[in-house]
Amino acid sequence: MRKILLSLMCFSFCVGLSAVEENTIVLKGATLLTVTQGTLENGTVIISGGKIVGVGRDIKIPDKAQIIDVSGMIITPGLVDSHSHLGLGPSGGVTEDNEGSDPNTPQLRIIDSIHPEGVAPHQYSFKDSVAQGVTTVIARPGSGNVIGGQSAALKLTGRTVDDMVLVFPCDMKMAMGRKGNYSAQGRLPVTKMGTAYIVRKAMIDAMEYKKSLDRYEIEKKKNPQTPPPKRNLKDEAMLQVLDRKLPVHIHASPVDDIMTAVRLADEFKFLKLSLAHAEESYKVADELAERGVVVVVGPMMIAFDDNGNLINLADFLVKKGVEVNIMTDADVVQQEFLRFQAAIAVKYGMDPLEALKAVTLNPAKLVGMSDRIGSIEEGKDADLVVFNGDPFDTQTEVQMTLIDGKIVYVNDEGEVKEMR
Amino acid sequence: MRFKRKSIYILLLVLLLSLPAYYQSTGESFYIKGKYIVTVSHGVLTEGIVKIEDGKILEVGQNIEVPEGARLLHVPNGWVLPGLIEAHTTLGTGDRSRQSESDETSSPNTAHMQILDAINPFNKNIKYAAQAGITSVMITPGRSNVIGGQTAVVKFRGKTVREMAVHSPAGVKFSLGEGPKMTYGRKGRLPTTRMGSAYVIRNAFIQAQEYSQKLKVFQEKKKKDTSAVPPPRNMNLEILGNVLRGELTAFIECYRVDDIMTALRIIDEFKFKAVLVGCAEAYKVAEEIAKRKIPVIVSPIGVGPRRIETQNASQENAGLLAKNGIKVVIKSDDALGIGTIRELPLLASLSVRGGLDRELAIRAITLSAAEVLGVDDRIGSLEKGKDADLVIFDGDPFHYKSRVIYVLIDGQTIFSQDLKSEGN
Repeated sequence: MRKILLSLMCFSFCVGLSAVEENTIVLKGATLLTVTQGTLENGTVIISGGKIVGVGRDIKIPDKAQIIDVSGMIITPGLVDSHSHLGLGPSGGVTEDNEGSDPNTPQLRIIDSIHPEGVAPHQYSFKDSVAQGVTTVIARPGSGNVIGGQSAALKLTGRTVDDMVLVFPCDMKMAMGRKGNYSAQGRLPVTKMGTAYIVRKAMIDAMEYKKSLDRYEIEKKKNPQTPPPKRNLKDEAMLQVLDRKLPVHIHASPVDDIMTAVRLADEFKFLKLSLAHAEESYKVADELAERGVVVVVGPMMIAFDDNGNLINLADFLVKKGVEVNIMTDADVVQQEFLRFQAAIAVKYGMDPLEALKAVTLNPAKLVGMSDRIGSIEEGKDADLVVFNGDPFDTQTEVQMTLIDGKIVYVNDEGEVKEMR
Repeated sequence: MRFKRKSIYILLLVLLLSLPAYYQSTGESFYIKGKYIVTVSHGVLTEGIVKIEDGKILEVGQNIEVPEGARLLHVPNGWVLPGLIEAHTTLGTGDRSRQSESDETSSPNTAHMQILDAINPFNKNIKYAAQAGITSVMITPGRSNVIGGQTAVVKFRGKTVREMAVHSPAGVKFSLGEGPKMTYGRKGRLPTTRMGSAYVIRNAFIQAQEYSQKLKVFQEKKKKDTSAVPPPRNMNLEILGNVLRGELTAFIECYRVDDIMTALRIIDEFKFKAVLVGCAEAYKVAEEIAKRKIPVIVSPIGVGPRRIETQNASQENAGLLAKNGIKVVIKSDDALGIGTIRELPLLASLSVRGGLDRELAIRAITLSAAEVLGVDDRIGSLEKGKDADLVIFDGDPFHYKSRVIYVLIDGQTIFSQDLKSEGN
């Protein structure tokens, strides 16, 4: 009987929620992990027009608002995965993120590979990710190529990829190390120095391209009939890196690859460098901190040093002054389990709020969107997750997820009740 | 000839000398006291003690007297569990950066391969897993071949596979679905389809039946005629014959419901002992599995790559199977060696969130695993006479903040966290 009542309640609740679109929503009485303003007990969030318009304890609730009682719950900003290949094809199978015909493909755009619901192997991956609190992912080309292409920050809602785009391009994806696909064919790059050469060559080609564009501008003033130089999509893309308009994200795990990435960043004065995986980054943490290199840790959260001592990578780097993001590398770890990745870092000693930052504000900063997402603050996008307990606990369930002020997920057997 | 015999004697001598070195008989008793002793077989003892001698558990109880001066490890906040068992993994047979050693993809039927020949005891992942309380695993061939080869239950200690092995061969690995299709389909070789995979197994079993028959005929003949010539040995069919006679368990990896039903159909036809592995969609046909009393080894949904055939995986799978009376074992599915195996208890706790009973979830990574692997006489619970494989957590093993602080295999300390620095 109780169950029936509950499901009736849920039903009416869902109907109630879906009927409201642009109205004001008030989430009342939860513990707010704001990320930027500390923890607020018994707090209220007011949402209107897709934005957070009020955060506080004793704030005035607008008259016509839909009030949702979330007392006893914990609310975090929507989780952001800094490095994902979500919806781009099966791990180890035929994927849409590695254009294996050429190791240098800066002209490729990840948005041209994305189905807005996710594709096999996980048809409903975007929906399922939202159900676990992930609201934004940075979708990236794979690491099969040295220069893989342009990444995009996407919100996990929308009918088309264009609806989903938060920032595009958000950075240029590169990958150090050996490239098995090419070395097997005896093609460049067979070695790691071949890999580094490809990046240097691409940068220098872009410089040359820039010179030809500059020359053209001068010539045109003298002679309006001067034909423009032939367009080159690769060089155009790399020009954005050269002109410090686009940050660079580099896959690098062992310390030699990490330092090659750093050397390239130094040589060509990259706007900003972030490293993915970086399992041996603990060996050069000082060098990374000094240069302001961001490290995106995962899917392997734990490293072991040469003496076999456990290194909790994310925690270690933060304590060394390195800015850290935490990723799933979906589908290596499934997209839904971003909070599980952060939980492993907390398990081995990372401060929980620091870990939360690594899956919210820090990735927002990485793509220049910290004024829109990554924390619970007035004026920011209303991307919020309601948990029925510690977000990192495996027994905790997401009760509700909002993106841009719209309720995009409600737990069927949930505990959240509507008040009015 | 003489030299050969001599070398055999030397080998024997070395073996005899090395055995006691490993199983050191000190005669000394070792007592472990914790807040909770989770025996798995006989409930949870509060403030209990485990008495260990010569690598075995001598006694488990609350009223065990610890003599003055005896070796005692008292962890006031400790949860003492039997060593955790990962029931199905390729860990230790190569790593991410190197070629896999677990799939001999020169033929879809390699029942004659032994995984023991692919294990590197010095693979670092073995040590790291042991430090997280994983004391025993079944290492198996991968999922590329329809019949992959012979599996082995090993402990995570020792310098040679011989020292590591607890039970080998422990079974034969089979695989249905995308694994073989992807491997051979690309080459345009059998099996490129699911029906091709089923045929590979049926054909192999029929050949094994005929081979067994030939052997039987030969045995009969030999009684009358001592010069009778035996049929040529066939290593592959010998092993498959063992499966058909129920001497070796078939571990069949299958995910989609059609693959699960194909496995059941083949089991019905040839009537052998089997365990289903993977089983992402098993909840859809739980009653079919239950009525045949076949245990399952499932991966919890979550960590580990999702594949086409696991897209309908559900967090509720393990719970629903258990409710149908099926014996459920949980594995970590750390196929990429990214360290997920270290979080086996947390992965099991995801199944608890999906409805699996807590005690069954603990059992799923200890005693149920040992039973399914055929080693429950030695490991899987804290019971008198079993191997002293123990893991101590500093809290509820299903809570994400709890950590392993002590690991013991055969009574030997494998890992010990500096208890003082933990502030306990």
